[in-house]
Amino acid sequence: MSKTFFTIFCLLIYIFLLAPIVVVVLASFNAGAFLTFPPQGLSFRWYVVFFHNEVFWRAIKTSFWIAGVTTVISCIIGTMAAIYHVQFAGKLKETVRVAMMAPLLLPEVLTAIALLFFVYTIGIGTQTVLPMIIGHVLITLPFVFINVSASLETYDVSWTMAARSLGAGPFTRFRRIMLPLIKPGVIGGALFAFIISFDVFTISFMLKSVGMSTLPLQLYDYLRTNFTPEAAAVSSLSVFLTLVVVVVTEKFLGLKIHRF
Amino acid sequence: MNARATKKRASLLLIAPAGLLIFFFLVLPYLTIVVMSFRVPGDGTPYAPGFTTGNYLHFFSDSFFLVQTFNTLMIGAVCTLVCLLLGFPVAWQLARGNSRWRGIAYGIVLSPLLVGIVIRSYGWTIILGNNGMINRTLISMGLVDRPVGLMYNTLGIVIALSHVFLPFMILPIMSAIQGIDPSLESAARSLGASRATIIRRIILPLSMPGIQAGCILTFVLSLSAYVTPALIGGSKVKTMAVTVVDTLVDTFQWPFGSALALMLAVTGAVIVVIFARLTRMKWKVA
Amino acid sequence: MTEVSIERLTMDYGVHLAVDGISLRIRNGEFISLLGPSGCGKTTTLKMIAGFEQATSGAIRFDGSDVMQVPAEKRDIGMVFQNYALFPHMTVAGNLAFGLEMRKLPKAEIQSRIAKVLEMVQLSSHAERYPIQLSGGQQQRVALARALVIEPKILLLDEPLANLDAKLREEMRVFIREIQRRVGITTVYVTHDQAEAMTMSDRVVVMFGGKIAQMGTPAEIYDQPASVEVAKFVGQVNLMRMTVDAVSADGSMDLSGPFGPIRVKAIAGAAPGRSVTVAVRPEAIDLVALGEGRPATIVSSYYSGSLMDYRVRLADGTLIDVQTFPRQRFADGDAVGLSVSADRWWPLEINA
Repeated sequence: MSKTFFTIFCLLIYIFLLAPIVVVVLASFNAGAFLTFPPQGLSFRWYVVFFHNEVFWRAIKTSFWIAGVTTVISCIIGTMAAIYHVQFAGKLKETVRVAMMAPLLLPEVLTAIALLFFVYTIGIGTQTVLPMIIGHVLITLPFVFINVSASLETYDVSWTMAARSLGAGPFTRFRRIMLPLIKPGVIGGALFAFIISFDVFTISFMLKSVGMSTLPLQLYDYLRTNFTPEAAAVSSLSVFLTLVVVVVTEKFLGLKIHRF
Repeated sequence: MNARATKKRASLLLIAPAGLLIFFFLVLPYLTIVVMSFRVPGDGTPYAPGFTTGNYLHFFSDSFFLVQTFNTLMIGAVCTLVCLLLGFPVAWQLARGNSRWRGIAYGIVLSPLLVGIVIRSYGWTIILGNNGMINRTLISMGLVDRPVGLMYNTLGIVIALSHVFLPFMILPIMSAIQGIDPSLESAARSLGASRATIIRRIILPLSMPGIQAGCILTFVLSLSAYVTPALIGGSKVKTMAVTVVDTLVDTFQWPFGSALALMLAVTGAVIVVIFARLTRMKWKVA
Repeated sequence: MTEVSIERLTMDYGVHLAVDGISLRIRNGEFISLLGPSGCGKTTTLKMIAGFEQATSGAIRFDGSDVMQVPAEKRDIGMVFQNYALFPHMTVAGNLAFGLEMRKLPKAEIQSRIAKVLEMVQLSSHAERYPIQLSGGQQQRVALARALVIEPKILLLDEPLANLDAKLREEMRVFIREIQRRVGITTVYVTHDQAEAMTMSDRVVVMFGGKIAQMGTPAEIYDQPASVEVAKFVGQVNLMRMTVDAVSADGSMDLSGPFGPIRVKAIAGAAPGRSVTVAVRPEAIDLVALGEGRPATIVSSYYSGSLMDYRVRLADGTLIDVQTFPRQRFADGDAVGLSVSADRWWPLEINA
């Protein structure tokens, strides 16, 4: 009896978790001109409007390439740090972990402000995209670190020793033994990094250079003044893109995991 | 001996990029905030030369900021509580449930994290607005005559923030419960304990580290949330984080904005420390 | 085929002296075991030979040239790890090919060597399997094959049979030794299992506390242990305290003790009145009729199929272990006689 109550309770919470996303997607198909719920009829018209909206498309492109650059940098730095943390840190292990997790534990708002002040103080300001990339890398680093570290914890050091005994130098060992075996962690981290960078708001808000806009920024701007479902169409597309990226990566990862 | 030392030095290269990044672009910048909070406000420029404690005096002398800080802390506390009440059952179910729906359920819990904060907050404006989903349903069902005010007020902010941070409460608790050996529960049952007793005396104490982590994370995130309170509260209700950003970006008062930010951070940190101490003493966790 | 010489090798961790200036010469094609309890320094020594650890002082030479500064990957060793360390993301063939690819051998050569070595370890049909699909014994054979296929200078094995069950361990002992003999490669084998060391090795190096306690053939170690520690570690032993009655000019000494008077080879420090610890192996003691040997009573007995172990009490209360073939079974409480032939007594040390 109480078990059913419990299950229903949990079900309601799952609905609660999905609610806003589902609502946005549904609202995007609203045939009417105002953002009401339930929709006044179903139509793709707002997708068409959005399709012709240069501003939004530019923002999506910007978000994409910034996320791409961020992911690459974050994965390289994060993987190196994770390898150090799991295999070489020794007594510093906990310190390294806290330091790497710091961008996640500290409020994003404060980190954004801190970076803003800092880049002005050292003179580079926000005229270039550099501060934004640095901010994005900082925010995504913990995710790459966690994922790769988790993969590394299951990595057996005797594999490296065996490879050494067979004559493999450090780069060969990394390329042929370690990397293939931590690939799930790296890819998982890359996935998180990409999505987080794509969706992040506050850091981009504070550090953007003039004329540049990412999708979240553009959406926010739009939402403050407009009330048409066009924003819902943009949002739905963004959600859909994220889903595609996740599913494609799952398939790719899935194949790899099957191996061992 | 030589080889071992070189190996150690070489391995430092691995941590160097991350270490330098964290030091130069996290540690130093945070120090910059502290320094900035003592600078003299500028006229037309972000700040003027010289140092002062005036910003802090301004904060303490104006009750508006004190009240807003208090309100923000309250919002954070209520959100944390709501997340705990909603999140614990889900965490339990995910940790102990059977595997068929688990994958989907886990995906649902993660889904908010994979969708942008702006989009999520936007979704809540649709749900909570006067013309939004809830009100329209209530009115059409005849339960109320006029729209219930769920937006542009504290209630709306709490609801939306609870949604945003629920995964951050669920995941640590789920992880902690997973770490509890299931045979402990079997042992307790064999000794005659009821379900409620098992939860109270075995699960709760042992999952305390996860509960503690989830609460602290949720609280800190709620305090510093910007987008959600900005969209849901509009100009009617502002949290401290929103005020701070407005002060910095709209009115360019960097020194004062820094002081506000630090006051929020410090009060938040104090509460977190007290909470951590209390839960440590009572439940004996690390 | 390589000769290995270790000279005053030391590993000092500061807080702990793992290996204390050991020296030994391993001949071409010899199979030696480093035998000792955990912490005795045997694995550290092996790691230093392999190049995974750097000694604090001393020298290691392969065929006369010092390899101390040579990194592990360039020492041309073949190593078999306790947990096999097979690369999980490569097939058996892939694992075997790895070392050959490092040596940049042509594809045809790699293929033929892999085929040959798989045949040698009787896993020819498993070339395309993944390690996770193999049993423990099979994985161990692949690990051995992987170490041998590169035709290294020496073969190093770090307690390779520790994770296998008893029956499999016995089979693998024979298997490994046969292959080693066939290939004729110089081999260093680390183990804490003295039965393994005894059955497989040309020579056994017994180590305690970072030092070599005794080095010799299995027979020498067993029949003529150099110290009480070695005697206790290798096989079962009875240790008895006896008193020196007399020391003769011909190098023998007369002892008296719970077993009556015996005559053994004299050892350093022997003088009339001194106390000596003497060893006798349980299987060296025969159970005879009461009147024909030293009187004793059976306290308890343990039957293990091929052997019979008895706990026996002498007239003065001393307890001794006896091992015999179960041709004749005695019951608890029986009175029996004990008989030991004179050459089976082994004096160990003078007691302070």
